[in-house]
Amino acid sequence: MSEVLDLVARLAFWLLLPPLLPGLINRVKALAAGRRGPPVLQLYYDLARLWKKSVVQSRVASPAFIAGPAVAWTAILAAAMLVPVGFVGTGLSFRGDVVLLLYLLALARFATAWAAMETGSAFEGMGAAREVSFAVLAEAALMAAMLTLSVQTRSVSLSTMLSPFPGPGALLLAAGLFTVLLAETSRVPFDDPNTHLELTMVHEAMVLDHSGPPLAVILHGAALKLLLFSVLLTESVLPIGAINPSGGLALLLVGVLTTTLGVGLVESLMARFAFRRVPLLLLTAVLLCVFALLVAWQGGSVTA
Amino acid sequence: MTPPLLLALAAAAITASVGLAGPRWSRWWLLLTLAGTAAGFAAALGVLVGNATWELRGGLTLGGEPVHLLLDPVSALFLVLICVIGAGGACYGREYWSDAHYPASAARGRAWWSAMLLCMGLVVTVSNGLHFLIAWEAFAVCGYFLIVLERRRREVRAAGWLYLAASHAGTLLLFVFFALLAGHTGSWDLGPMRDAPRLTPLFWLMLVGFGLKAGFFPLHIWLPSAHANAPSHVSALMSGVAIKMGVYGIVRFSGWLPMPPVAGWVLVTVGALSALIGIVFAFAQTDVKRLLAYCSVENIGIIMVGVGGSLLAVSVDEPVWGQLALAGALLHVWNHGAFKALLFFSAGSVLHATGTREMSRLGGLWRSMPWTAAMFGVGALAVSGLPPLNGFVSEWLTYLWLFDASSSARSVGLAAIALASAGAVTVASFVKGSSMIFLGTPRTTPAAHAHESGWWMRAPMLALAACCIAIGLGPVVVWPVAARAVSAWHPGWGTTSAPPALVTLGQVHVVLVMLLVLSIVTLFRQTRLNGLRRSVTWDCGFAEPRARMQYSAASFAAIVSGWFTWILWPQSVVRRPRGVMPSEALRVDHIPETVLERLVQPAGVVVTELSGAARRFQHGGLQLYVLYVLAGLVAIGTLVWVEGPR
Repeated sequence: MSEVLDLVARLAFWLLLPPLLPGLINRVKALAAGRRGPPVLQLYYDLARLWKKSVVQSRVASPAFIAGPAVAWTAILAAAMLVPVGFVGTGLSFRGDVVLLLYLLALARFATAWAAMETGSAFEGMGAAREVSFAVLAEAALMAAMLTLSVQTRSVSLSTMLSPFPGPGALLLAAGLFTVLLAETSRVPFDDPNTHLELTMVHEAMVLDHSGPPLAVILHGAALKLLLFSVLLTESVLPIGAINPSGGLALLLVGVLTTTLGVGLVESLMARFAFRRVPLLLLTAVLLCVFALLVAWQGGSVTA
Repeated sequence: MTPPLLLALAAAAITASVGLAGPRWSRWWLLLTLAGTAAGFAAALGVLVGNATWELRGGLTLGGEPVHLLLDPVSALFLVLICVIGAGGACYGREYWSDAHYPASAARGRAWWSAMLLCMGLVVTVSNGLHFLIAWEAFAVCGYFLIVLERRRREVRAAGWLYLAASHAGTLLLFVFFALLAGHTGSWDLGPMRDAPRLTPLFWLMLVGFGLKAGFFPLHIWLPSAHANAPSHVSALMSGVAIKMGVYGIVRFSGWLPMPPVAGWVLVTVGALSALIGIVFAFAQTDVKRLLAYCSVENIGIIMVGVGGSLLAVSVDEPVWGQLALAGALLHVWNHGAFKALLFFSAGSVLHATGTREMSRLGGLWRSMPWTAAMFGVGALAVSGLPPLNGFVSEWLTYLWLFDASSSARSVGLAAIALASAGAVTVASFVKGSSMIFLGTPRTTPAAHAHESGWWMRAPMLALAACCIAIGLGPVVVWPVAARAVSAWHPGWGTTSAPPALVTLGQVHVVLVMLLVLSIVTLFRQTRLNGLRRSVTWDCGFAEPRARMQYSAASFAAIVSGWFTWILWPQSVVRRPRGVMPSEALRVDHIPETVLERLVQPAGVVVTELSGAARRFQHGGLQLYVLYVLAGLVAIGTLVWVEGPR
C-alpha cells in the first residue's frame, strides 16, 4: 500500500509541479527588469490550451514527428521517476539506476533531435546539431559528477548516492552541476529561451514546426527536465537524507526554489554567450566535476 | 544430438555448399548454408546452455600435429555470432548480390562466403597453434576475396589491398607469437598455461597481432575503407563477425596465458581512447558505410575496456566487478554483432535503391523505404546504447563495473567519463545518419526514385531487429550464457544467476516500452481528435523551401569536428561566391584517414626511400662486388684481431 502511495505521490510531484518553475523564473526576470511579467501559472494555461489545439504539420514529416515528442517526454518522466524526492521513493532504487538515468536523458535527446530533423528545415537542423554537440561535454560533466557521488558513498544507486553530504567537493560539484543544468535545459548563457531569431537558438529552434498537443508535450517535458535537474543538483550537494524526513523535504523544496531563482537571476544579469564560447564554459563544468571527483578520491568515503 | 555430431554436420554442409555456389545451384547453396549454420548454432547453444565443454584430441594428425578441437563456452559464444550473421547475410546476399545483377561475381561471392564461415568456425574451435595459424590465414584470405568481389572499381582494389597488407602484418606477429609460445612450452598444443611467468611478454605480440584484426585505434587503418567498399552483406560479416575474431584471440589468450600486471590498464586505456576517437571520426564522415565502420572502432573500444577491466580485476583479485566487466564485454560482442549487421544491411538496402553512400545526396527515404527506415532507426537506437534495447544492456554492465572499480582502481573512472562522451557522440552520429538518409526531402533524383527492398533483404533485418529488442527486454535470458563464458575464461568466476539489478533493469525496460507505447498512442489520438493540417515546412518565411536548403551531413558535425581538428585534420575545398551575380560557389569537406595518411604512409615513404638508397649497392658491377667481399674480409679480420684470441 505504501509503495502505491509513494508512486502516486512522486507521479503527482513530477507531473504537476514542473510548469511552475518556468513561471517562477519569468517572474524573477520580470522583477529584476522592473516589469510585472506574466502570471506565475502561465505555462499551465498554455499547456491546457495547446492540448486542445489542432496541429499543423510539415508535408515532409513522417509519423515519428509526433512520436518523437512522446518518446522524449516519457523518457524524461521515466528518468525523473528514478530520482528519489526527499525520503519518498528511496525504496524503488536499484544498483546502476544512475546509468539508466543518464541514458534515458540521452534517449530523450535522440527523440527530440530526430523529430526536429523530420521537417528538413535548416534551422531545425542547426538546433539539433547544437543540442547533440553540446551534450557531448554535458554528458561528460554529468558522468563525472555521478562518479564523484558514487565514490563518496561507495554505492551505485541513486537513493544512497544522493542522501549524504558529498564532502569537501560539494562547492565544485554545485558549480559544475548548475552549469550543466543551464546547458541541458537551454537557458542563458547557452541558449536564450525568449529569442525570436532562429539562427541563434538551440532548443527552441528544434521545436519550431511543432504545434498543438505535441508542442504541449515538449513544453511540459522541458519544464520537467528543469525540475529534474534542480532536484538532482539539490540532492547532490545537500544532505537531504541525513536529516528527518519532513525537514529533508522542506530543504529539498528550498533548494529547488533557490536553483530556480538562480536561473532567473543569471538570465537577468547575463547575456547569451557567443556560440564558440559555449564549449569553453561546458568544458569548465567538466573540469569542475572532475576536480570534485579528485577531491572525492583524496578525501575517502563518507558512509551514510 | 550432441555437439560433435552437430559440428560435423555443420562442417560437412558448409563444405558441400562451397561446391554448390554456381548460379544453377544457388537455391541448394542457400539451403545447405542455412542448414550448416543452424547445426553450428545448435552445437554452440548446446555447449552454452548445457555448460558442457566438448573436446576432441588426437586421432588425426595434420601437418605433423595432432588435431585438437575445443568448443568451450568462450568459443561457443563466438560461434553463435558467426552462425547468426552468416545465415542472415546468406539470405540477404541472395537479393543484394544476385546472379541477375552481378553475373560475374555472385557465384564467387557465395563460394567465398561459405569458405569464410567455415574458416571462422575453425578459428574459434581449433586448439593447436599451427592449425590456428592456418585457419587464421585462410579466414583472412577469404575476407580479402569477399571485399574485392566488385574488383573493377579502383577503390575496391585499393581497400582490398590495404586489408590484405594489414591482415598479414597481424599474421606475421601472430606467427612470432605462436612460434615463441611453442618454443617456450615445447609443443604447439594450446590450453591454459597461466603458471608460466616467462610467457608474460607475449602479451604485447598478442595485443598488436589480434588488435590489427579487431581494429581498435590506432590499428584500425584498414577498417574504414574495407567496410565501406565491400558489398554490404560482406561489410556486415566483416564488422559484425570478422573483427570479433580479433577480440576472440585477445579474450582467449588473455585467459590462457599469464598476463603482465599492466595488461589491464593498457587495454582499458586503448579501449577508452578507441571509443572516443573512433566515434568522433564516425561523426565527421559523410559516407554512411564509413560512419558505420568507424563506429565499429568505437564498439571494439567498449569491448576492450571490459576485457581490460577483467584483467585488472584478476591482478587485484576483485571477482565482483571483474566478472561484470567480462560479461559486459562478451555481451557487447553479441549486441554489436546484431545491431551493426542490422545497420549495414539497412545501409546496403539504401545503396541498392539509390546507388550512393553519400548521405548528402540522400534524404526523405522514409516515404519510399519505410521498412528500411524503421530498421535503421532500431539499429541507431541500439548502437547509441539507449534503453530499452540491447546496446544499453551491455553498456550498462560496463558502466556498472567502472563505477564499482573507480573507488579502488581510481583512474578507471576517467574511462567512464570518456565512454559517456563517446555515447553522446554516438547519439549525435546516428541522429545525423538517420536524418540525412531518411528524413526531410530527397536531395537528388536517385533518392527521389528509391524503392523498398524485397523480402530476402528485409527478413534478415527484421530478425536482427527482433534480436536487438529481445535482448533489451530480457537481459536475464542471455546472462547465463555470458556467465558461463566468464567462468570458462577464469575458473571460479561467473555466477549463473543474474545479478538482481539486471533483473530489475529488464523489468524497467518492459515497463518503459509499455509507457512509450501508451504515450505515443495517446498523443496520436489527441492529435487526430483536434485535427491535423498539412502545410509547408516553416522556414523563416521562405515561400518555397528547397531540398538544397536542408542541413547537410558535414554542417551537422561541424561543431564537434571543430573540437577535434587536432586529430581529424579536416580538409575543405571552398570556392566563395564572388561579384554581384555570382555564378557558382562550392564547399566540399573531406575527413582524411589521419593515421593512415599521416603516420603509416609517411613511414612507408621513409622505408621505400631507405630501401631505394640501399639498392644503389646492388648495381651489377662485378669488380665492386669483389671489393665488397674484400672489405668484408678485412672487416672480419680487423674484428678478430682487435678482439684477440680467447
